[in-house]
Amino acid sequence: MTGLWEVLTEHLPEFSSGLWVTFRLVVISLVIAMSVGTLVASLRVVPSAWLNRIGGVYVEFFRNIPLLVLLIISFAGLRRAGVPISPWVAGTASLGLYTAAFIAEALRSGVFAVGRGQIDAALSLGLTYPRVLRRIVLPQAFRTVIPTISSLVIAMIKNSAIIGVSLLALPDLLAEARIVNAETFKTNETFFWAAVGYLLLTGTATLAFRYLERRYQVRR
Amino acid sequence: MTYLFDPVNWEWLWSGNNLRFLLEGFAVNLQIAAVAMVLSLAFGLMLALLRISKVRLISVPTGIWVDVFRNLPVIFLILYLFLGLPESWTNAYADAVPGFFSEALQSGFVLAGILALVLYNSAVLAEIMRSGILSLERGQSDAAYALGLTYFQAMRRVILPQGLRRMVPATVSQLITLNKDTTLVSIIAIQEVVRHGRILSTSGVFFGEVQAPVLQVFIVIGLMFIAVNLVLSRLSRRLEIRERKRTAIKAGRVTGVEDQVAAETDLVTPR
Repeated sequence: MTGLWEVLTEHLPEFSSGLWVTFRLVVISLVIAMSVGTLVASLRVVPSAWLNRIGGVYVEFFRNIPLLVLLIISFAGLRRAGVPISPWVAGTASLGLYTAAFIAEALRSGVFAVGRGQIDAALSLGLTYPRVLRRIVLPQAFRTVIPTISSLVIAMIKNSAIIGVSLLALPDLLAEARIVNAETFKTNETFFWAAVGYLLLTGTATLAFRYLERRYQVRR
Repeated sequence: MTYLFDPVNWEWLWSGNNLRFLLEGFAVNLQIAAVAMVLSLAFGLMLALLRISKVRLISVPTGIWVDVFRNLPVIFLILYLFLGLPESWTNAYADAVPGFFSEALQSGFVLAGILALVLYNSAVLAEIMRSGILSLERGQSDAAYALGLTYFQAMRRVILPQGLRRMVPATVSQLITLNKDTTLVSIIAIQEVVRHGRILSTSGVFFGEVQAPVLQVFIVIGLMFIAVNLVLSRLSRRLEIRERKRTAIKAGRVTGVEDQVAAETDLVTPR
């Protein structure tokens, strides 16, 4: 077991910088996913068949395409087309837009849980539809779907590993583990510590969301 | 936009055997997905049953196993098994693989890919199945035992048929995720659709003398996946509606998002 500790202590800089890159990737993508997801969810619930359809196409497209294919399109594809996109932008935008489709679906189901009566009441008080969405519906929808968003964030942490090993060459945790493995040839030890890193991230996210869930529980 | 729709950039699709080459790669993905699906469903059910066992010596280790593999990236597992699987295993696979599988599936590395997909997906499916089973009212199993059914009879005749029916939507969305994840085995040099796409877009010269741009090639690949996955999700919705008509029960269903962490049993059974 001595080898196990040595791999960690000798390569701590690689592991910690990889963990930090993965963390930043997830946070930036989450911001994109939440904002785009909210927008798409709004498109899907407003009383306009056209906007609904646009939201629906977005969701079906990004939900059913493999993330790896999306990454290749947004990086290699756009570069070949003459758009000088950076790995960070391509990576976070792909992961963000991909997850936004799932967030939108979750929020939509949350919106339906709010109840027609509240929307009617707000409208009859003279609020405009966008205001009703922003003030009445979305705050409650967010609360009901916290558990779903929690599992999506965990999926995001896991999916961020795809960015690192695909063509983008972003030195995230898994990419760093590959580098360490190539140096030491200690596959089991190296991947053990990388697994610990990922479990730390997903575990922390689980606990944080459990706290949020308890704090913002909707009592019905 | 003009670049995207410029007919010159789409010529590759019809020239030579390019489209056929992509479809052949896609068929490899579908085969991997099918094999991994069957194995994950079987292992997932086994893990779910072990996890709800009353014997703590069985349920606790199974719980740890499920939680670990559910929370690791699939790509991590694929890479690890690719690098760390003993050679004797991969050789044994290469010897044992049935001849009707396509050529790309004959290589020993495929074992690492399939094994990783099964490890991950069986853990996720186990959680979905567990919450499906636990969402049944206690009275169901009590009644079954009161009628004199043994544990296995009660499971097979009473609990599983009802519990598993509730988790159809969540399972299908997990299977769609699995289908998308098959592209990840391209990392370990299995000749599937992403690899074929890369070959096309880097050496278009060899295939029909027309340059194939990456963007367009991978849009076509993406559309293939979207088509198959849309069919899968439509099928599950059809199935659900038919079930509801037949049983005429509004069952509280297990909700499904990608990687549904079905631990939210509270969502399933509103208290």
